[in-house]
Amino acid sequence: MSILNGPLASVVIAAFLASTVEFVEAFTIVLVVGVTINWKSSLAGTAAAALALVALVGVFGTALVLLVPIAALRFAVGLLLILFGLKWLKKAILRYAGVKAMHDEEAIYEEEMAAMRARGERPSARLDPFGVATAFKSVLLEGLEVAFIVITFGSAATGAGSRATGITWAAAGAGAALLVVLSLGALVRAPLQRVPENALKFVVGIMLTSFGTFWGGEGLGIHWPGEDLFLLALVAFYLALAVALVAWLRPWGRPQVTLASAERTAAHAIEEAH
Amino acid sequence: MNRVTGAIKALYTFLSGDAIILTAALIAFALGLVLLQILHAPNTLAAVAFVAIIVAGLVMTLRREIAGRPRARS
Repeated sequence: MSILNGPLASVVIAAFLASTVEFVEAFTIVLVVGVTINWKSSLAGTAAAALALVALVGVFGTALVLLVPIAALRFAVGLLLILFGLKWLKKAILRYAGVKAMHDEEAIYEEEMAAMRARGERPSARLDPFGVATAFKSVLLEGLEVAFIVITFGSAATGAGSRATGITWAAAGAGAALLVVLSLGALVRAPLQRVPENALKFVVGIMLTSFGTFWGGEGLGIHWPGEDLFLLALVAFYLALAVALVAWLRPWGRPQVTLASAERTAAHAIEEAH
Repeated sequence: MNRVTGAIKALYTFLSGDAIILTAALIAFALGLVLLQILHAPNTLAAVAFVAIIVAGLVMTLRREIAGRPRARS
């Protein structure tokens, strides 16, 4: 005899697929914060959001669907992500156009590490408020959406036995989705670490702005065509826009001098002067 | 600078640190709310206006960065 009957199997599959989309969205933000800022900030934000989620689900249970204003949450998170995203995207565009000096990441990293070692600090001991907040709100929003999916899909499976059984199987589907997304994330983490920081920040600016536009729009009541798939269209749109803006600004850019090499030149000049 | 001003400034810097971006984002959300919730405008119109104002904010803040700079390259 099969453990899962027809309605329950459909609950598990539907919860798995819908949750995968939400977990991928949350994991993308956690990953980019981890790679571009630091993993401590990213994981601290994620852990805080997970605790908040556990507390919310523990206190409200299935009444969560009625009590948490998800539209208001999307509105607030969308607004913040747009602000963060545009700030990063602006800097990245100016750097690629040559209007601002490019970061020479390796040299800057080595200098910062040397300075931190001299002060007796460990680099991983620094929590970045921007990184923590970005990871926190993304995981909280997407986690709440997964909770909503589990509760609504599970409750809808009335032909599958009790409501609790439906919710349990929907939670199993969501759990499986989380495992799949985490496994895939572990695979892409290492290659991402090797991407230059400026390129990553450019991509992060585009991602944050796209997610912010998507969630903010949903919070306002905009129905995006294709629902979550429209995120890809927004990413493509902002990428094309950013590339066009770099081309537009290029005539105002200087020949590219890296920040670290400029600093080295300045330090050398000061030494010479003494 | 007193503590309140300092806190407001720190919050502003944390959120955006750019008056044009902040204003554009606030206008985009306010206009979206007015269009959808009060005027019951079509979804497409609201979506296009929302994205257009965000893009306008980005373009305007970039324009400000190059204002008064000579063109280094043609």
